[in-house]
Amino acid sequence: MKQLITLNINGEQHELALSPDTTLLKALRQELGMLGTKRGCDTSACGCCTVHLDGKAVYSCVVYAAAVQDCEITTIEGLGSNGTLDPLQEAFVEAGAVQCGFCTCGMIMSAKQLLDEQDHPDEEQIRQAISGNLCRCTGYTKIVDAIKMASEA
Amino acid sequence: MAAADIVGKSVTRPDAWDKVTGGRGYPVNVQLPGMLHGKLLRSPYAHARIISIDTSEAEKLPGVKGVLTAKDAPVRPFNPVYFTPIGCHSMVQDMVLFSDRVRFVGQPVAAVAATTEAIAEQALQLIDVDYEELPTVFDPEEAMGENAPQLHEASPQNIAKNPSFEVGDVEAGFAEADHVFEGVYQTQRVHTCYMEPRVCVIDCDAQGHFTVHSSMQHIFGLREKLAYALDIPEGRVTVVKPPYIGGGFGGKLDIGYIEMAAALLSERIGRPVRIEHTRHEDFISTARHPIKVYLKTGVSKDGTITAREAKSILDTGAHATHGSEVIMVHGMFGVVFPYRCANKKWEGYTVYTNNMIGGGYRGYGCPQGCFAVESQIDEICEELGFDPIEFRLKNAYEQGDPHPFNPAWNLNSYGYAEALERGAAAIDWSRRQPAGSETGVKKRGIGLGTQGVWVSGCMGFPDIYEHTGAIIKLNADGSADLASGTVDLGSGQITTLCQIAAAELGLEPEQVRMSYADTDTVPFDAPTHASRATYSSGLAVQAAAADAREKLLEVAAAMMEANPQDLEVSAGRIEVKGSPGSAIPVADVVRMAESPFMKDTAEGPQPSCPPEHKGTIMGSSSLAPPENPSPATALFVEVEVDTDTGEVSVLRCVYAHDLGRVINPNAAEGQVEGGMQQGIGYALMEDLQFDTETGTCLTSDFLDYKMPTAMEMPREIESIFVETNEPSGPFGAKSLSEQCVTVPAAAIAAAVYNAIGVRIRELPITPEKVLRALGKL
Ligand code: FES
Ligand code: FES
Repeated sequence: MKQLITLNINGEQHELALSPDTTLLKALRQELGMLGTKRGCDTSACGCCTVHLDGKAVYSCVVYAAAVQDCEITTIEGLGSNGTLDPLQEAFVEAGAVQCGFCTCGMIMSAKQLLDEQDHPDEEQIRQAISGNLCRCTGYTKIVDAIKMASEA
Repeated sequence: MAAADIVGKSVTRPDAWDKVTGGRGYPVNVQLPGMLHGKLLRSPYAHARIISIDTSEAEKLPGVKGVLTAKDAPVRPFNPVYFTPIGCHSMVQDMVLFSDRVRFVGQPVAAVAATTEAIAEQALQLIDVDYEELPTVFDPEEAMGENAPQLHEASPQNIAKNPSFEVGDVEAGFAEADHVFEGVYQTQRVHTCYMEPRVCVIDCDAQGHFTVHSSMQHIFGLREKLAYALDIPEGRVTVVKPPYIGGGFGGKLDIGYIEMAAALLSERIGRPVRIEHTRHEDFISTARHPIKVYLKTGVSKDGTITAREAKSILDTGAHATHGSEVIMVHGMFGVVFPYRCANKKWEGYTVYTNNMIGGGYRGYGCPQGCFAVESQIDEICEELGFDPIEFRLKNAYEQGDPHPFNPAWNLNSYGYAEALERGAAAIDWSRRQPAGSETGVKKRGIGLGTQGVWVSGCMGFPDIYEHTGAIIKLNADGSADLASGTVDLGSGQITTLCQIAAAELGLEPEQVRMSYADTDTVPFDAPTHASRATYSSGLAVQAAAADAREKLLEVAAAMMEANPQDLEVSAGRIEVKGSPGSAIPVADVVRMAESPFMKDTAEGPQPSCPPEHKGTIMGSSSLAPPENPSPATALFVEVEVDTDTGEVSVLRCVYAHDLGRVINPNAAEGQVEGGMQQGIGYALMEDLQFDTETGTCLTSDFLDYKMPTAMEMPREIESIFVETNEPSGPFGAKSLSEQCVTVPAAAIAAAVYNAIGVRIRELPITPEKVLRALGKL
């Protein structure tokens, strides 16, 4: 049986009729057409689906949409403002941290929490912060460079 | 920017902007009106005969629109590998979409399409399959034995392919040797781990024309194989090139069960059908083959390799797929070619088992060979006291030598020695200590691995496509659209091909845009594989750009009342050579050619340019490259082995590549760094494991299948580019990608030996194996 729920995503309210076992990832991609959040595994192991709940990076594939109605949800589409990109997005482009890019949005969301909480993280803190996000293309080198670059911007 | 400045510049990837803001272009995002969702039912048994399938309950479920089983599917056997034409003799054709016999756990037996994924999944539960279990075999050497179950009638002893190669007199070579070394080297099954799952959306219209969206690496191969599988003319299939895909690394090189099933379902139901793999399905659908190499090498006192003999046994799983080609590439490039040696003999076996099928993973058989060959060279050097660099240089090819793959070619650009020298200097090779000499719990070691011969494409294989083409069209604003069938897997072809086009056309790199392409509108292109895109597709793009440029200059010459030969174009402007004051913008020339108007002159209105110059200024190409020059690679790594826990950490790598002229250094570094990561995974942790009784995959999830995260990667990866100038390449370029993953396992194994003084000949080098080697387990 579907239930009516309200999600607060990137500052906007969305009303949805969902079955109770719908994950936040599914709600974003399939119900709302917000395709920036990716599904790489669906089992909380790759990080492609990372979004923020009240500023904390979480895997949206293992969170039920109905359970996060009280949270402020931020997705990659909510980054930056007034047509300008977030410094992290700029830095990922600049540093060459994007190859296939399938991990990129999740990676940026994890890095975003780090930079929100810490002004100048060192390399180990950066690596730790993205250790729940898999990337198969870059070896992480330029991703770490990009996060450093953004933290210095 | 002048052409000379465009090539070699780290131009920003145009697709990066889209990817950091969400990434619209991935095939997983394709949605069509009325689209249904498909799912495959897969066998729980490794070997069984299907007695009956009852789909009636599934068909009754509301929302289910169609169910397929063997009785609905074509029976013509095929091989799903994209890059060889149907019917070519080297391919073993042993697969059908659905059969009444299953040979591995996970083999699809039925498909369902429904209005939602959830309903499709529910319908799968309602399909009743009656299996009769058959005896299984999971070890390839056992499978070759007399009493093993036979998996394919056409292949006695389960040998799908048995290629061999011999040159010189191996017996005489061993007789000549002062020392003979023998070893057995075993590699494991690993997955490419592309991050975007395999997916397709296929729409069959009322006239029976199929429009295909898929995450595959080759649009033309998909068209050909799909048409063959459905037994329809190719003209009834249009494959749309995705703007980009979320990684491939060879794992998306063949038509999948999903494409065939989605096409048949769509044809039957008359609505688009989408099928996306779960990660579990991805893990059991493609892999790098495990290969066991028996290697014997004869060496004379002065360090010359006098003879080499090898036997390689490749576990191809339930079907041949890539296994019949990988064994060849492995044997030639991995084992036989890398060093000069007059007497060589190799025999390969591609063997069926009830394991999962393999695929085409970056390196294509070469990492397995490189691990064996380079490990044994390290053993030889250790035992006989040769410096590993000098020993290699003594036996390596030199610039100008004939290419071992094709004697009609020469190694016209060959930076192997320079790669070794510069890499050694950067890591400071002279500080390397004798093996196992460090005291303390944590021991450091330095190791070296190289790959002397590889390809920039597949020209030398007569059965593999290598031709390619491109179309370039100039716009009235002075920009250009480039259309090419080359799929960008993430390695940056969108950027590098646009750079090549811009350099040839005399435009700024950002003035060239990679545009839409599908199999109807662009010339044939071989797959993005075999390290070929920069070289082969680059040549096609350069030729198309040169064609457009010629037309551009003809029109400009008429406008400027000059000779086309006296004109040059650079940074979007055309001028008479040496006379900057004469410059006119490219945009003016294109507008002139496209405009229907007359121009005002003192004599009244005149045609703006001769009628033969009217029209769109464009260029095209369709060609086969002249050759596939060899890159060369040397990798130096420093590791630390914790002798208490057995853990190996890679601290530092210096990776030197001769890749010809570098088109985009940032993108090239990205290839090296990503390759190093896959190589470290292969060397130390990645392993697709299966239950030895049932054949069920135990690691079909990123929780169980461990690949390197940012924590496991070395903090320092230094790329050294040895920029030889390849005369046949676009602006002197050749290839890079696969070299980056080929060598790490060999170099890391050598470094581990240097650290602890014990050799491990079986990948991955897990803590358990290290402790066992140290006698601590
Ligand atoms: S899709 Fe959520 S962690 Fe992989
Ligand atoms: S860029 Fe491809 S997975 Fe990270």
